[in-house]
Amino acid sequence: MRTLAYLTLALAMLPASLSAQERFATRNGHINFFSGTPVENIEADNNKVTSVFDASTGAIEFAALIKAFEFEKALMQEHFNENYMESNTHPKANFKGKVSGFTAADAMKAGSYDVDVSGDLTIHGVTKPLTTKATFVVNADGTIKANSDFSVRPEDHGIAIPGVVRKNIAEQIKVKVDLTYARM
Amino acid sequence: MERKHLIVITAVVVLLVGATYGYLEFNRGVAGTASMPVQEKVTAGELLADFQTDEAAANQRYVGMTEQVVQVSGTIRAMEPLGTGVTNVVLETGDDLAGIVCEFQDEEVPTDWRSGTDVSIKGICTGLLLDVVLVRCVAVENK
Repeated sequence: MRTLAYLTLALAMLPASLSAQERFATRNGHINFFSGTPVENIEADNNKVTSVFDASTGAIEFAALIKAFEFEKALMQEHFNENYMESNTHPKANFKGKVSGFTAADAMKAGSYDVDVSGDLTIHGVTKPLTTKATFVVNADGTIKANSDFSVRPEDHGIAIPGVVRKNIAEQIKVKVDLTYARM
Repeated sequence: MERKHLIVITAVVVLLVGATYGYLEFNRGVAGTASMPVQEKVTAGELLADFQTDEAAANQRYVGMTEQVVQVSGTIRAMEPLGTGVTNVVLETGDDLAGIVCEFQDEEVPTDWRSGTDVSIKGICTGLLLDVVLVRCVAVENK
């Protein structure tokens, strides 16, 4: 049943002629972001990231609900949603792009692969190109563990930070993505 | 002289109260779902249907401006321990393509829950991806 749901998403984003054997998906991906400054550290986690990857074309897509980011401190979470991300207006972030350096044949054999990822990242309703490195580890059970670290500037996505708290928030927010894909 | 002392003492007390409030507010943890009031009670099928019919309206109703608790009742379609300290409890919706995914801390999942069990769950509704997603979930009761 759940595989069918993945298939629906995949069919919407990928050419219908492709083999389902080469498609991978997860709905439990993890994104962590970290803002470190001498004033304070701000960190949050989201464990409900949905993603689909097609090994035959390299097409990759993921989406995250902004309100699913969880903070240690309630005040940070409230400010994040209400003042900066305006999550009622922009409830989701997503990425659509392509993986290069990894083929459908690679997905069939266990090993670690360094890949390049490029595409469009939409946060706060503003889309910007993103190019980064990632590691794809093909496990013996056929799952693929994908990891990537990159940085995002809030201002690039139209997120206004008042001058009075500018020193509390890093210029570059560090983002970590961990996705464990299962074959569809 | 006494009046001067009174002013100083009052100022110190006000300062201490303010500083204490500020410290506690800054370090306030995220509220536990169990202790928060329920804003909406709905069945799993109705919740999904509302999001599929009008996502913006459903976001306004169930996700809200500030986080709010939604109580969802339904039948467990699947239990998915992720091995990371959390378990997804997926509720039937009458739609094979989508469910209600409720994220529990492992220790919060009642040990007698299985696929097919009728349950009622409180959680923070965060919106719709493939499924409607609730986080920080707790069991209300076995129906």
